[in-house]
Parts: sequence; C-alpha cells; structure tokens
Amino acid sequence: MITHELMLLYRVMPKPELVTTLKRTAETLFSRGGIIRKLENLGTRDIPFKISAHGVVYKQASYYVFTFNVPPIAIKDLLDEFERDVDIIRRKIFKQNSPEFKECTLHEELQPAPYRKSVQELIAQARKLDKPKFNYNTGLDYYPFQK
Amino acid sequence: MFSYAILRSKLPSTTRLWTPMVRLLTSTSNSTNVPLFDMENPFEKEKRKCILCQHNVIPNYKNVKLLSQFQSPYTGRIYGKHITGLCAEKQAQVELEISKAQKSGLMAVYLKEPCFIKDPKLFDSENPIRPHRFE
Ligand SMILES: [Zn+2]
Repeated sequence: MITHELMLLYRVMPKPELVTTLKRTAETLFSRGGIIRKLENLGTRDIPFKISAHGVVYKQASYYVFTFNVPPIAIKDLLDEFERDVDIIRRKIFKQNSPEFKECTLHEELQPAPYRKSVQELIAQARKLDKPKFNYNTGLDYYPFQK
Repeated sequence: MFSYAILRSKLPSTTRLWTPMVRLLTSTSNSTNVPLFDMENPFEKEKRKCILCQHNVIPNYKNVKLLSQFQSPYTGRIYGKHITGLCAEKQAQVELEISKAQKSGLMAVYLKEPCFIKDPKLFDSENPIRPHRFE
C-alpha cells in the first residue's frame, strides 16, 4: 500500500471558512475510498513567488499536508477535483519517503578515475565495440609457415 | 671504480641506502629471500562519509531550511556534487526533494530566501573538489 502526501496551498481566509474548506477536501478523499492518516498545518505565510490561480494572483497562502492512502487509480481524479476548487491555489501529491538508509559511497567516488566502478563499466562497454582480431587457433604464439 | 667514487660523493651523508624496515618484513623461514607482504596496508586511509550520511539525515521536501543550504544565495541555483561534497545517492535525493519543494510552493526558485541567508555553511562554494566553469 502506497502512502501519499497531498500538499495543499489554500488562499488566506477566515477560520470558519477554512474549516469548511478542509472538511470539503477531506470528504473528497473519503469519497474516493481513501483513508486519512495525518493532517499537518504548516502555517500561513508568504509564498516565495507569486502564483496565479483561477484568475487571481496570490502572494500569501495557508499550507496544509494530508497524509493518506487511496487506490492509485483515484489519484488523477483527486487532482482534477482539487484543480476545480477555487480555494486551493496549488496542489501536489507525492509518495511518502521511505526511511531506509544506504551506506555512504563517497569514499569510492573520490578514488582516482581508473578505480571508480562507473569508469570501469564505461571502459568495459567501450571494449565491446572493439573489432574482432583474427586468431589462427594453432596454439602457437607465432606463425609457423612462411608468409 | 672511479665512477663509483664520484657517485658516492654526490650522495648526501645522511642518506641510508638500506633501511631496517625491509628486514622486519622478511620472514625467517622464507629461503628465497623475498619479503612477504601479508600485512594489511598500513597507509589505508580512513573511510570518508558525506555530511548527510554522518548525521543520518534523510532530506525531505518539507525541511526547506536544510534544502536551502544547498542553494546559491546569488542565483538560487542548486550546487553540484563537486561543491556540496555529498555522495551520489544523497545528492540525487537532495535535488529531487528541492524540486518537490519548489513545485509545491515551499521554496524559492530564483533566489535563496532572505531568512535563510545567515544559516551556517555546510561547504565552501568557492573551493570545489573539481574545477568548474561557474566562478
Ligand atoms: Zn553519503
């Protein structure tokens, strides 16, 4: 099951109006067979760049993140529905990051070029393009007859 | 004989032609008089780790303060691997998360936001590991 995160930028509005908007968003998720795991408020602040949505230019927004599960087929419909919501300035759905950790490869990357694995692979790939050399198959390292 | 004498005189007096280290490495049971180098490389360097792997940090698009440390304060450009000193995996992760943050309106694109300008520097952007054409 893939857990998604829905990043939403709402236009700045008074609290009761915001509550109804949030409820509307949540109900859209439920109507597509979704489950909400978490709702985060990232605050109301200036957007780093102005955004034009529904014919209005916005410079401030309320940031909210819904963490939810939904059937993958419904993602497209959800984005389509949020696009038509006039209170939403911007919406993005991302997959939740997995917390697994890999070993650091910086040491191998700082080796001189011939010792790096990526370079060795490149050389091996280039050797494949070499023209085949004729071999006499005599088992001798010299030509036994007169040329 | 004559040329040998000249050679010797050219050598500085402190130079030792034969060091006792060689004798230490030679095995007594080895009759062929060839040194046995079965010890580990004593000059092996310590394994280096990038700053994010050292502190077990997983970059996330919501952590804009961390991500903006990899952004140029002059142009908003994301610094490359040869400047940030990250491993390939972490650099790719950072770049992906920055792109996600910028798309979702959390992070500036053409500048580093003024509130992050005074943050501590993770690397010296003036001294890249490899030379580059963005001086
Ligand atoms: Zn690393």
